[in-house]
Amino acid sequence: MSVRRGEDGTAIILDGNCTVEEAEPLLQLLQATPTASLDWRQCTHLHTAVLQVILAARPPLIGPCGDAWVQRWVTSNAV
Amino acid sequence: MNELHEQFIDEARELIHQATDDLIAVEREGFARERIDRVFRAFHTLKGSAGVVDLPAMGLTLHAAEDLLAAIHAGKLNASPSVIDQALNCLDQVARWVDNFEVGGALPPSAGEDARSMAATLRSLLSERAVTETAEKSAQGSSAPPAEGLLPKWVSRLIESQQGRIVDATREAPAQLFAFSYEPDGQCFFNGDDPLNLIRKIPRLLAFHAEGRETWPPIADLDPFACNLRLQGISAASHAELAGTFRLVPDQVRMVEVPLKAYRPDHARSAGDDDRAGLVRAVIGEQRQVLRAADQGDDMIGRIGAVSRAAANALRYGGLQDLVDAIERANVAALSERNAGHLLSALDHAQASLPGDLSTVAPGAALVSASADGRVEEAERPASHALRVDEGKIDALINLAGELIVAKTGISHLARRLQEELEDRELAGAVRREHDAIERLAGEMHAAILQLRMVPFAQVFRSFPRLVRDMAQRLEKKVRLVTNGETAEADKVIVDRLFEPLLHLVRNALDHGIESPQQRRSAGKAEGATVTMAASRAGDRLIIEVIDDGRGIDPAIVRRRARERGVIGDDELAALPDDQVIDLIFSAGFSTAAEVSDISGRGVGMDVVRTTVERIGGRVSVISRVGAGTTVRLDLPVNIAMSRIMVVSAGGQVFGIPMDAVTETVRLTPDRISRIKNNDGFVLRDRIVPICSLAELMKLPQARSHGSESRLMVVTDVSGKVIALEIDAIDDRLEVVLKPMQGLLSNARGYAGTTLLGDGRVLLVLDLKEILP
Repeated sequence: MSVRRGEDGTAIILDGNCTVEEAEPLLQLLQATPTASLDWRQCTHLHTAVLQVILAARPPLIGPCGDAWVQRWVTSNAV
Repeated sequence: MNELHEQFIDEARELIHQATDDLIAVEREGFARERIDRVFRAFHTLKGSAGVVDLPAMGLTLHAAEDLLAAIHAGKLNASPSVIDQALNCLDQVARWVDNFEVGGALPPSAGEDARSMAATLRSLLSERAVTETAEKSAQGSSAPPAEGLLPKWVSRLIESQQGRIVDATREAPAQLFAFSYEPDGQCFFNGDDPLNLIRKIPRLLAFHAEGRETWPPIADLDPFACNLRLQGISAASHAELAGTFRLVPDQVRMVEVPLKAYRPDHARSAGDDDRAGLVRAVIGEQRQVLRAADQGDDMIGRIGAVSRAAANALRYGGLQDLVDAIERANVAALSERNAGHLLSALDHAQASLPGDLSTVAPGAALVSASADGRVEEAERPASHALRVDEGKIDALINLAGELIVAKTGISHLARRLQEELEDRELAGAVRREHDAIERLAGEMHAAILQLRMVPFAQVFRSFPRLVRDMAQRLEKKVRLVTNGETAEADKVIVDRLFEPLLHLVRNALDHGIESPQQRRSAGKAEGATVTMAASRAGDRLIIEVIDDGRGIDPAIVRRRARERGVIGDDELAALPDDQVIDLIFSAGFSTAAEVSDISGRGVGMDVVRTTVERIGGRVSVISRVGAGTTVRLDLPVNIAMSRIMVVSAGGQVFGIPMDAVTETVRLTPDRISRIKNNDGFVLRDRIVPICSLAELMKLPQARSHGSESRLMVVTDVSGKVIALEIDAIDDRLEVVLKPMQGLLSNARGYAGTTLLGDGRVLLVLDLKEILP
């Protein structure tokens, strides 16, 4: 499972390879807890669809992002 | 006229041609940076050359046109038909001036006035646009600096977001950057695409930004499977690399070139300064070229004077008085010592001292052909490997090779004598082997020399885009010209002679073949018609086709017209099938146009096309389908044929007679000649052969009265009719290149053509079919 609720029940954690399959579960989690922060330190690869959910929902992020390219290019400008 | 002037004229014409072609292509195919670039460079080089040969009026006009093109180039001005029209008018004017300059070495007195008014017209196009632009800007309340004003907003924003990084990355080597904006298809996630992966693959990415195309909906309504992203970035990768990355989604990507000055603030000087420095640099560069081009020769003094004048003017224009003084000192030294070296080193010094980023200008590099704002390109002019050779010299060479072929037969004769008379079999064999080697070499040489005369078809085709454009405008028709096979080659004479027939065919296609846009619409066709000119090689034949998709030729109308004009007998006409009936359009006195228009001209019909083409050994045919269009096909020889001729003299003149008509030569004693009716004749192998005097046929004074001397006859067989042609002497037998009659003589009857003899004399070759009774 690459998208899960953190143990403390507040943060949402992205872990490993986040594919297009993760977009909907992530969205559901964010819809359920709009104030939850997102921990993407363990994420090794972020799919565009997942990034889109993040851009739309703009949750507080716990970084740095484990996907180096995303950390380099996305966090500084877009998010 | 000195060499410099000649070079200027040649070069100017070439540039005018090329710029015309490109402008028309821009109009037809829309804005293409590369094309505008080329046009800009052509204008720029022309302007520079005009300065070199001291034609300020031409320079003034071209400068205005150049500003206009720079505005188009920068995206400030649309390449609208009216703008292109003006640019073409400017080229026309320049072409006329080049003609004047060639004839009189100067521009006409009105040139200054013409130049000012043309420059004013060109500039008015610019200012109109500038006014609207300012209005737009104030409406938007934009405060973007001018350098970035031309860029789409998103690009400027990207640059701003990463300016530090971009400047750092390009500090070593200023690069051409491209900005891209990628809007992946909404359904792309369903197709398994990961658009971000494409971006990850882009080499030398310098900036990136991701945003929603539409404002993001409340999170409760977000559809996670519909892509609503816009991914933008800037990369130092080449256009090709980027296009390669996005090759599967070209429709979803926009790319914009980012000029140097947009991301390097140190390069964003005011446009005026840039232009000035660039111009000075370009002129100095060109002067160095001129001086280096010939460091010897009679016109050296003139060259030094012209070069130093142009360079000094340019430097003065650039406000560099100390360099002007240096140039003028060098000029005096160079003139007094007749040594261009002084001036050359002064130019080198001037170039090195010019302000701006000159480290990129390699010493001796050719023209610097754009202003210094990131469009600077050192157009390293490729060394020309082409020679200009007078056509006559090549013809003489061809004839010499022909004579060599004839002469080598003498060697084979020698071998036979060795064997028969001296019975030296060994020596005869050796001579024969030598003969074979010479024969092979002579043949190859002949073929190679013929190849010298081959020119590509592009020369003929290049005038047509402009002609078609103008004609179509005048006829209010929409026509696109497609040309194929510009690289197909044929002998120069053939290529040169084809211009007129092709012009006629294209005019006909536009005037008569292609319908008005309304007619085309109601016929269910696209409004824009297409005329195709295609050249291709088929073995040793050259096929040229002029194809239109117009209304086609209606055989019924051709029949009616043919009957009215009495082009052909009624019975014969009735017997002709439809596909042959349309061939009648090539008959003399035929014209299907309801009225003569100024496009197709008066009285010149398709028969002229046929005559011209047949004269160079070709055939014309036409295929047409009513409603679908017409194809006229010219089938031509690639080479002008080598003809074997006999050189004879009669009435004090020398003529050529084609050998294929000659059956034998005989010397007749007076007793063998008898008077038959009003004519002399003699019996040759039980057949009476009439005698015609060649001198009499050519209306030349008879060489002598016929006394008791024997008389020399060339017996000819022309389409089965045997006639003896009386001549004074046989001078030679040759294999020659027969050139069709040209210029004033092209309509002279009785001649098959001309050829140049090895000694430079022109020989008229007779067309026996025409002159014999």
